[in-house]
Amino acid sequence: MNKHFFDSDIAWCPGCGDFPILRTLDKAIAAAGVDRKKLVLVSGIGQAAKLPHYTQANVFNGLHGRALPAAVGIKLANHELEVVITSGDGDMYGEGGNHFLHNLRRNVGVKAFVHNNQVYGLTKGQASPTSDLGFVTKVQPHGVISPAFNPMALAVVEDCSFVARSFAGDPQHLQEMMVAALQHRGGFALLDILQPCVTFNKVNTYQWYRQRVRKVEASHDPYDRAKALDLACKWGEEIPIGILYLSKRPSFEEQQVVLRRGRLVGQFADQ
Amino acid sequence: MDLQLRIAGAAGQGVETTGDLLVEAFAALGLHVFATQTYMSRIRGGVNWFDIRIADGELFSLRQHADLLVALSKEALEWLRGEVADPGVTLFNGSDGPGVTAIGFEQIAKELGGSAIMANTVAAGAVLAALGYEVSRLEELLRDRFARKGEEVVAANLRCVRKGAELASAQAGRLQAPRPVGAPTAICSGNEAVGLGAATAGVKFVASYPMTPSTGVFTFLASAADEYGIVVEQAEDEIAAINMVCGATYAGVPAMTTTSGGGFALMVEGVALAGMLELPAFIFLGQRPGPATGLPTRTAQQDLKFAINAGHGEFAKAVFAPGTPQQCYDLTRHGLELAHRYQTPVILMSDQFLADMRKNCTGLDTSYRPINRHIVENLGGDYLRYAVTESGVSPRALPGGEAFVTVDSDEHTEDGHITEDLEARIRLQDKRMRKLEGMRAETLPPAWHGPPEAGHVLICWGSTYGPCREAVERLNAAGQPTAMLHFSQVWPLRGEPIREALGDRRVTCVEGNATGQFASVLREVGVLSDCELMLRYDGLPFTGEEIAERVRG
Repeated sequence: MNKHFFDSDIAWCPGCGDFPILRTLDKAIAAAGVDRKKLVLVSGIGQAAKLPHYTQANVFNGLHGRALPAAVGIKLANHELEVVITSGDGDMYGEGGNHFLHNLRRNVGVKAFVHNNQVYGLTKGQASPTSDLGFVTKVQPHGVISPAFNPMALAVVEDCSFVARSFAGDPQHLQEMMVAALQHRGGFALLDILQPCVTFNKVNTYQWYRQRVRKVEASHDPYDRAKALDLACKWGEEIPIGILYLSKRPSFEEQQVVLRRGRLVGQFADQ
Repeated sequence: MDLQLRIAGAAGQGVETTGDLLVEAFAALGLHVFATQTYMSRIRGGVNWFDIRIADGELFSLRQHADLLVALSKEALEWLRGEVADPGVTLFNGSDGPGVTAIGFEQIAKELGGSAIMANTVAAGAVLAALGYEVSRLEELLRDRFARKGEEVVAANLRCVRKGAELASAQAGRLQAPRPVGAPTAICSGNEAVGLGAATAGVKFVASYPMTPSTGVFTFLASAADEYGIVVEQAEDEIAAINMVCGATYAGVPAMTTTSGGGFALMVEGVALAGMLELPAFIFLGQRPGPATGLPTRTAQQDLKFAINAGHGEFAKAVFAPGTPQQCYDLTRHGLELAHRYQTPVILMSDQFLADMRKNCTGLDTSYRPINRHIVENLGGDYLRYAVTESGVSPRALPGGEAFVTVDSDEHTEDGHITEDLEARIRLQDKRMRKLEGMRAETLPPAWHGPPEAGHVLICWGSTYGPCREAVERLNAAGQPTAMLHFSQVWPLRGEPIREALGDRRVTCVEGNATGQFASVLREVGVLSDCELMLRYDGLPFTGEEIAERVRG
């Protein structure tokens, strides 16, 4: 077998929304002043989860659905590392749903960039937790009958410290959101990225999203939880993108007694 | 010369508090002590008991019958009076009856202490007096324990002790009690020993979901966290716990999780992740009877083959099974060292019997002595996380230095990136499996007790050490030459030396399960063709007298 054929080739389909996310992430890392040597990209399994292999950073590509607990373990062991998760909707909201729920509460300072294409790509086109009602697949031939999971609303309700949404088809906005998330210091940051899947999702296309996304108005106060929840619940004809919600609650690291003494990995030998 | 007492009552009645108090008091007197608990899966009611055996020589297990029963409830009396030895003494928190001495523990506690809570202090005083021991050491313990609660609390407890002693003193002499012999005054439990072993070895991160009987290690580490500098986090589930441990070890801190069978089942994919990523994840597995929820608060040795085989695919792993609190401490440290030297998961198996076991020990070292993590400085250049080496162990650098550190649960090349190059697959799989050969070469040899020429050998592992040890002593004292071979490491195994040690002797595997799992493992590594099995799986531990009786037939 030709090793180089497999190893140099990016596994995504031409036109995949993962490409602009990858390009924009590279720009955002530079714009936010993140030192790549201190950057760890963490992912689970799925097409989005392959992203860390296609750029320059430390990489922890773990199990399906388990990017979050692994990222939290890394961050707590060495909280001077910038720990960023790049994984998909199935990974984060489906298989890893319990971790998502509880890490909204835990508020460890990892950043989750969720490539949300509303479909399972790697397993060839089944519904994801964010698929819209009526979405037809080979497994759901009569269409999806369970309502879509709303990660934004759940995050607001759980008082997540940073809640934002962007669109892979608007790289400039996406970069702004990524930079804001990377520079966020208050704890867990969730950035849901609407990402067209050109092969398995013929409904939520670039055009479909482009017609619906609306930038959050500059007058929106992200600390206003009720308004944020209002925005987070919008879906369909109008999909708000931007920073929906910010919380002032303290991060896990700030409150953890042992971590106040410094990096855990530094305390191993110093004690 | 030994004697066994049993404190029994409903959950919530202070059975454990009384037991702990007496264990400390007996040790303070210089007696050898061996104790463990038997309890039901409930917070109130039922019948729980705490067995304490005391002797003038080292103890390794319990007896089935108690010489002295303290029954704090009517149910406890009814359940357990049939297991009182003859001659025996029964102190009952109720009214007098045939063979039963009534002492109103709770009534006295209310009258003299102002609170029913002090019933356990009354009981402790009564027990000591019934056996003819001085209560002065117990009084010292109570002064130390309650000093910060004020003089009145101390005085109330002392009144309770003295009243209990006064009422039970008429029983003194009915039982022959062992004389103090200057035994070590420190007491260790199996779970505390694991926790202390981990804290002193430099475990910095603990993520667990509570599950009996492993929770004691988790709570011990939480109580030691500030002193030793440990982040202890209660995970949302066991899957999170093991994956958090994998993340923390990747970033460079020794990390562990604690669980029991059902929780471990949830972790298994993460165990394979640690094998693939070559991370020194350390897992404490406290067994209880399964399958499924089983008997949540009882003991078993039923997860041996599960632990050895845990994880899809093939990778190097070591499994330890200490038999005493001292071994719990030593093997926790050794297991963590091995995990770091070979960069692979290590499991330490215990069970409810060992978890709750309390025994004199010479004092476990509480000083912080971090293990060698075998980390190389991350200087960049052409660093490869999974460089192929003869031993299979690749230089381990941490993220944050000059070179990127990439790890992937997919098959990967030496640089850690995903690959489907099938030649790389063989190269990396062979590299990972070579570590198992290195680990096998340094597997701890099993310990032999008993006459070298004995024609009959009892094979055991983990917590069955003590009961077998006592059985061997009983059998040899009765003129029946018997030896035992105890395995404190159950994987990987070296077959050849064991085969040579056993020769053509009669072999019996003594195990707390229904199928003889260790015998099966020994057959797999070519040690045994066949052997006799002595099994127990009712949820209670073996006793030395039981094993000796079953050997005699």
